Amino acid sequence: MQTQRILKRLIVLVLAPFLLACGSPQAQVVRETVIVNQTSAPVVQTVIVEATSESDTAQVEPTAASSTGGKLTQLNPTLGDVRVRQAIAYCIDRLEIAKARYPFLSDEERQALMIDSFVPSNHWAYSDDITKYPFDPEKGKALLEEAGWKDNGGGGVRYRDDGTPLSIKFLSADTATSQNIGAVMEQQLINNCGIQLIRTHAPGSYFLGARTGVQVRDFELTSFSWVGQPDPSGSTLYACNQIPTPENNWEGQNFMGWCNPTASNAILAANNTLVREERIKQFAIFQKEFTKDMVSLPLYQVFDVVAASNNVENFKADATQTIFGNAYEWRLKDGSDNMIIAINSEPDTLWGLISAEITTADILAFLLGDGITSYDYDYQAPGSLTRLPTLENGGAVNNEVEVTEGDTVWSIDGEAVTLAPGVEVVDSTGQAVTYESGTIKMNQLSVTFESIPGLKWEDGEPVVQADYELALKINCDPNSGSVSLTLCESRASVDFASDTTYTITYLPGAQWANYSVYGLGAYPSHQVLSDGRKLADVPVNEWASLPEIAEKPLSTGPYKLVEWVKGQKLVFEANPNYYRGEVPIKTLTLQVIPDTTQAVAQLMTGSIDIIDYAGTEQEAVLNAGKEGKIQVISFPSATWAHLDMNLYLP
Amino acid sequence: MITFLIRRILQMFVVLILSAIVSYALLYVAPGGPIEQLRAKQQQQGGQQGAEAIRADDIARIIARFELDLYMPVRFTRWLIGFPRGPITIGDREFFGDLEVGCKTPGLVRLRYPDGREELVEEGCQEAVYLRDLTTRRATNGILFGDFGVSQVILRDRPITTLIMSRLPYTLVLMGTSILLSILIGIPIGVYSAVRQYSRFDTIMTTLAFIGSSLPSFFFGILAILLFSVLAQQANLPYLPSGDAVANRNYTMPVLGTIRAGSFLDMFLHFIMPCSVLTFINIAGWSRFIRGSMLEVLPQDYVRTARSKGLRESSVLISHALRNALIPFVTLLAGILPALFGGAIIIESVFNWPGLGRLLLDALNRNDYTVAMALTFIQILLLLIGYLLSDILYTVVDPRIKLT
Amino acid sequence: MSSQLASSHDRITTPIENQWVSLLKRLLRHRIAMVSLAILLVMFGASLLAPQIAPFPRDRIAIDAIRLAPMEREPDGQLHLLGTDHLGRDYFTRLLYAARVSMLVAILVSVISTLIGIVLGLLAGYFGGWVDIAISRTLEFVSTFPGLTILLIVASILLRNENFIVFPRFMDRFVAALFAISEREAKQVTLIILTLSLLGWTGTARLMRGLTLSVREQPYIEAARALGVSNITIMLRHILPNAAPPMIVDFTLGINGALVGEAGLSFLGFGIQDPTPTWGNTLAFAKDYMLVSPWMPLVAGFPILIVSLAINYLGDGLRDAIDPRSKV
Repeated sequence: MQTQRILKRLIVLVLAPFLLACGSPQAQVVRETVIVNQTSAPVVQTVIVEATSESDTAQVEPTAASSTGGKLTQLNPTLGDVRVRQAIAYCIDRLEIAKARYPFLSDEERQALMIDSFVPSNHWAYSDDITKYPFDPEKGKALLEEAGWKDNGGGGVRYRDDGTPLSIKFLSADTATSQNIGAVMEQQLINNCGIQLIRTHAPGSYFLGARTGVQVRDFELTSFSWVGQPDPSGSTLYACNQIPTPENNWEGQNFMGWCNPTASNAILAANNTLVREERIKQFAIFQKEFTKDMVSLPLYQVFDVVAASNNVENFKADATQTIFGNAYEWRLKDGSDNMIIAINSEPDTLWGLISAEITTADILAFLLGDGITSYDYDYQAPGSLTRLPTLENGGAVNNEVEVTEGDTVWSIDGEAVTLAPGVEVVDSTGQAVTYESGTIKMNQLSVTFESIPGLKWEDGEPVVQADYELALKINCDPNSGSVSLTLCESRASVDFASDTTYTITYLPGAQWANYSVYGLGAYPSHQVLSDGRKLADVPVNEWASLPEIAEKPLSTGPYKLVEWVKGQKLVFEANPNYYRGEVPIKTLTLQVIPDTTQAVAQLMTGSIDIIDYAGTEQEAVLNAGKEGKIQVISFPSATWAHLDMNLYLP
Repeated sequence: MITFLIRRILQMFVVLILSAIVSYALLYVAPGGPIEQLRAKQQQQGGQQGAEAIRADDIARIIARFELDLYMPVRFTRWLIGFPRGPITIGDREFFGDLEVGCKTPGLVRLRYPDGREELVEEGCQEAVYLRDLTTRRATNGILFGDFGVSQVILRDRPITTLIMSRLPYTLVLMGTSILLSILIGIPIGVYSAVRQYSRFDTIMTTLAFIGSSLPSFFFGILAILLFSVLAQQANLPYLPSGDAVANRNYTMPVLGTIRAGSFLDMFLHFIMPCSVLTFINIAGWSRFIRGSMLEVLPQDYVRTARSKGLRESSVLISHALRNALIPFVTLLAGILPALFGGAIIIESVFNWPGLGRLLLDALNRNDYTVAMALTFIQILLLLIGYLLSDILYTVVDPRIKLT
Repeated sequence: MSSQLASSHDRITTPIENQWVSLLKRLLRHRIAMVSLAILLVMFGASLLAPQIAPFPRDRIAIDAIRLAPMEREPDGQLHLLGTDHLGRDYFTRLLYAARVSMLVAILVSVISTLIGIVLGLLAGYFGGWVDIAISRTLEFVSTFPGLTILLIVASILLRNENFIVFPRFMDRFVAALFAISEREAKQVTLIILTLSLLGWTGTARLMRGLTLSVREQPYIEAARALGVSNITIMLRHILPNAAPPMIVDFTLGINGALVGEAGLSFLGFGIQDPTPTWGNTLAFAKDYMLVSPWMPLVAGFPILIVSLAINYLGDGLRDAIDPRSKV
């Protein structure tokens, strides 16, 4: 990386030859090589935030400074104090933020966007036994006074007795929305409570970069959004061992550096069991601690608008499921069979395995396959599976097994390991234990997927065992370009009972909360390529650039792909071999329109039938909906913005 | 002339390589890339833990796939000429197999300043990539030999040529027509304004031309969509499609009746708005330039002489005045070639025109640096060719200038 | 081209003062140019007095007064002359502050790049030979730099370490005072100005080189050279005045381009950032509301339109006034 440093200097020289000096380190700098430890559990060198009492104003007791000292190990003098964090939460008027972003909504609609925990209140994992932070500047100011941040008369910035101003650096993205929200928060904090916010807005590539911005915890306050899922997960966000530090090569997403043992154990336990009641209990414990410590303030849920022309029938929209979930039911009222939908980004590849575009992978799953839907923060299997396999309906079983030294198990670090003394695993009671000797009991999950008979590829060939086996082989090959192999490595075996039924057995200890949706997928092993080879014979490293895979994959779903006009559109036709029978829409076009204004204009002029991203034009769409020109469905989406507070100095 | 050309082309080649190095270096240090995108995806999903976790070795694998772990000079030569692809073998012997060409895991150094401040910097290398590791990697033949390589993000692992060829016709048509139109309209306006300086026509045309260049193009673009698409359609007037290059299904409108998707009329209707807005914006530059140049030339002796010879006014203006007024115009031609290919970033975005300008913006925004670099390289090449051509043209139109 | 010879001789013998007086007289007679100049002066004066004139604090957000139309009042009765933006900030106030930033950025960028362009173009055209080759190739080299990428990198380097690029303190202070912004904002503005001007001089230089080339071979230049007039004098007194009219057009187009270009950069997300108001980013924000509040982009775009028109007219007037042959 020496070259990179030199280059940076060079660029500065090229750009501004008359700049006086470059930011070179000063003399007498002490250099220490940092040992990056990639394999074992991260060395957590942060201080535990102790919840000493039940009161709202638990005092943080920093323990002795850690061995390395300095960066990310010194408690932030402002945000390290829970009272300051709670004060920030009380001083921010979240309804007003929502009003700034959505001035066109009614008060009730905005109230519905409020979120108090890391899941919305209609999520199955939500617990109401939490500390809430309604807008209350008086309470906030009292907390700040107590923490030693004094208001010396005439409003303005608060100071500590030693003259330090209460000024906090805020980093977020440079999108218009982030800038607006930042501006509103800045004004609220200074006017309501005398907290000065120094804002920086960075391009996304910096803000969410691998070695820049949030990932290296180079912020005091930051705000961005998570997209909520049916499974609340959360362990990579809030567990103690997920704090990114230089020593663990910046892995993990606990950017706050928050380590509360109770909360950490609860979130791990919630993710280590598959029994929903137990999970709800553990998530409740976690949420109580999470909101009490106030390390991350949930701000609001993003408002979502889906619009369709009045001609469209049977379309559904939901927070956790794209509109494509029921693509096979769409109809046009006037009886025509040509439908056009806007998508805001073009697929990078039609091979779902390596696609980095979440939305396109999802869309294709429903058009070319028959995916598992996720309406209402939960999973359903309306399509080609006979049922969604769950523990409750017997489609999946979680057996207690005894393992001894030498067995392959799934470790607590998320890796397949040979059981040996010193290996940490989760036992069948959900506790993390370190293996010493003898046998221990662990849970082994096996899930049976059974698809309906008569499932066919678009060319009429039936889907057979070889197709699933091909998917297993290709998707788990490191040379395929697949991003994550974790799931593959956690499988112990796959057994086929017939062309339609197979059972996946995982390693003891691999307890995936979303086991119901982790099927194998299938590729048409019979397909003959343009060069005469059979798909099954093509080496894996060629797959990514194979036109039959990346540009025109075979379908088993309601539509088949006819043409992909690069930079413009994807054209589909009804699949005559679809197991539900041919769908009424004969031609379906996905038109790529990145610009929202353009997409809305096209909806209004009738060039397209549905858009599910209204962006900055939400108001125009809602207005047109009120006038009856189009149909509009709106709801709080699964995306929620939050304000993260770094407990340690960046 | 021949020696001049040879010397110029040699110089051009040097500039081309230098420019390519600088651009490549700039993109090399620019933040973001395929890894950032994966990270962003992971973060978007609320930190999907467990089964879909992206781990350090996953990232290392992807980094190697996109060559991001190679040092910049090695990456550059591999990109430019497809070299090196592995150790050099002479007979059975391998040379330089142990040469360090990249770094899998960078070393971290903590700098502790005397004032107590600390900084972590990446320095040195913990785990290196050696020349012999390159044999197993996929490689291009080099952009100099026409192999643009594969896209990293926009069209993952598929050739960039496909991407460029899918956009090129649209950009050429849009830019070609609008440049031609703005010259064809701009020159007469410029000439007329110069000949009838301060007449009413001059004032009106000047003002119109100024307005075109006075506001950013997105303003006119969105305004045109609002007026000629949305409002016109709502008022039941014939309207223009708001965007795209071609319709996906037949549509009807007053007066014109049903328009078949993909017909010439359909494409023409889609073409009108982006092309007119672009032309409107560019007329100002051309007409101003010509007007200035003509005002310069008109009082010259040879124009007077021509007039006094009794030549027709139009012939005086065109063959004597305009011909000379166009001389400085030649310098502007250098820019046309790259503009033709580069497209109009903003207008293409606003009108959803599937051209190369939008592709470049897309490549920069989504950090697809192989695509961005391919487009930049072509731009550089065309620009340099444009310069060469305009220098040659200069001697053609103005024989007094000697080529040196 | 004997007339040119004659006119140049005239110019040499005309006392300098007279030349300026006649230039001013010619300019004064150009009515539209004078009106434009007046508008520009008023705008510029107002922008310098922005803190005194502005009815509201620059960044004051009023959530209850979002996107008011011109002349509308807040619920508590405060009047917004030009309405408010998407955060309820007063448009009049912001556009006033923005005038200072936008106009100065445009002027500075144009002045710096034109100066560089004229000097290098003149040298290349006049001396020819290896000077020409060196300058011309450098020019081609610089003009191939990818501008958007450079802006992206500058922004991210600055984010990584605000002190990576160190300007002398007085420069930060000076820019901050000049633009009426904080020192932190000044850094960004300085960088944008430097980047744009260091990338933008190539066109001017090529134009200047071409003009010099065509004037250089004129008989009167050779005569002057034979008389032993120094190179610098020839360049300044003979070549530069002849190149002035097109250079002025180029300069005004340059200011105009910088003004409009800054807005384009804001549209693409590479410009000067909020909350520092510029006409460009104000308009870029407003364009999102074109379908629901069409007056917003009109209000936000108006100053750019007016100033840009005025600069163009003034440029025309100047051009005509300088060109001794024009018939004002």
